[in-house]
Amino acid sequence: LSLNYQLFPISKPAKGAGGKTGNWRIVRPLVHEDKCVGCKACYIWCPEGTIIIKNGKVAVDYEYCKGCGICSNVCPAKAIEMVSES
Amino acid sequence: MMEKVISGNDAVALAVKLSRVKVTGIYPITPQTYIIESLSEMKDRGELETEIIRVESEHSAMAATFGAAAAGVRAYTATASQGLLYMHEMVWWVAGSRIPVVMTVGTRAVGPPWNIWNEHTDFMSERDSGWIMAFASTPQEAMDLTIMAFRITEDERVFLPMMIGMDGFILSHTKTRVYVPSQEEVDSYLPPRRQPYVLDPEDPIAMGNMFSPEDYMKLRESIHRAQIASKEVIVEAGKEYMKRVVPIGSYSTLNESYKLEDADYAVVIMGAWSLDAMQAVDELRKEGLKVGVYRIRFVRPWAEEEVVKALSDKSVLVLDRSVSFGRGGQLYTEVKASLPDTDIKGVITGLGGVSIGKNEMKVIIRKFVERPQGIEWFYPKEARKIELRSPRYIK
Repeated sequence: LSLNYQLFPISKPAKGAGGKTGNWRIVRPLVHEDKCVGCKACYIWCPEGTIIIKNGKVAVDYEYCKGCGICSNVCPAKAIEMVSES
Repeated sequence: MMEKVISGNDAVALAVKLSRVKVTGIYPITPQTYIIESLSEMKDRGELETEIIRVESEHSAMAATFGAAAAGVRAYTATASQGLLYMHEMVWWVAGSRIPVVMTVGTRAVGPPWNIWNEHTDFMSERDSGWIMAFASTPQEAMDLTIMAFRITEDERVFLPMMIGMDGFILSHTKTRVYVPSQEEVDSYLPPRRQPYVLDPEDPIAMGNMFSPEDYMKLRESIHRAQIASKEVIVEAGKEYMKRVVPIGSYSTLNESYKLEDADYAVVIMGAWSLDAMQAVDELRKEGLKVGVYRIRFVRPWAEEEVVKALSDKSVLVLDRSVSFGRGGQLYTEVKASLPDTDIKGVITGLGGVSIGKNEMKVIIRKFVERPQGIEWFYPKEARKIELRSPRYIK
């Protein structure tokens, strides 16, 4: 647009655009790989896109995971444990 | 172009059809319900290309309309009174998102106490939302402004939504003569849909997400500047409308002057009762009182330059069919801000359907000439006889 006063409230998605949100976390999801069945329920439900699929199992991107615990709640195999950060 | 005798609601529904609106999110509320009933009937007869989404509230009606508009199509809705207040949050969301949407407000009193009759307070309550706000004075004008609205809102200098006020029952339900343009005429007038950005899953964006304080403030200033820039767009759209679509009307200015050139006194007024004021002025002029009418058509953007030019050398009476409690009518405060050195009187009347016609106007104007200052509430029992006559048309 050629008009310098026209601004619009949108943004393009980019990793970490809101800063490293991992430091918001007070509890951390801990994946027990031996229990993980690879169903990817946590991957689908994670609101922040911080679940990584690795060799059919899952891992967590702790730089951005806020520790909400949804992954732990939806895990049918009870493979994700929430542990205190302190 | 063909001549029809139709109500304001009919006229607006036809304007929506002729503007090739693709989606409307609808929820009924008196007095605008017939617009969406009329659209549904047209749809049933296969005459309408618009997708009609029935929702569970006005908040959702605007949300659905906004969503469709964000996805890149022309979208429209209508509401009134409590419905508009319920929609309030989404009204601001649409303007802040800078997505062109058009809405009709069939103005009506706000409860409690319950009252379905005409006043402008519901419409005026959205004054600060960032929408372009026009008010019709005839069913013809309601139609014209609705068609123009798509051209204005989709102009890159504007990219703001627009609402058109229309007096509940007085315009929405009263049938008068309306010149309805042909599809070809409207097609030649309205360009293809334009908007600042489009929702597209292949190229994702986040809309209205968290912005830093400075960026937020810049976006607010952007709306302000787009409102000011819209003045020239409105005038261009008006002139073009008279050239290509319906050649009557007075759209080469934002507002309208009537017998003001030699007037000592001016009556500032908005909406259907402007025509009653014009009749009253005609009769008072025969008695030797030099008085004219200044009709506000656009509340936002506010036509500061036009107002100053038309009214700065006159004593001004502002008639408000709405009120900001503890301060006076909204038009009164707007006019007073534009003309700080002029004698201005504000009269609040016609609320909740209180009927004000030519005779009441004459009483109000005579009282104003005696004392042209202050704010007053006028009740029409002072005007004894009521004369029933058919409405008059402006050429």
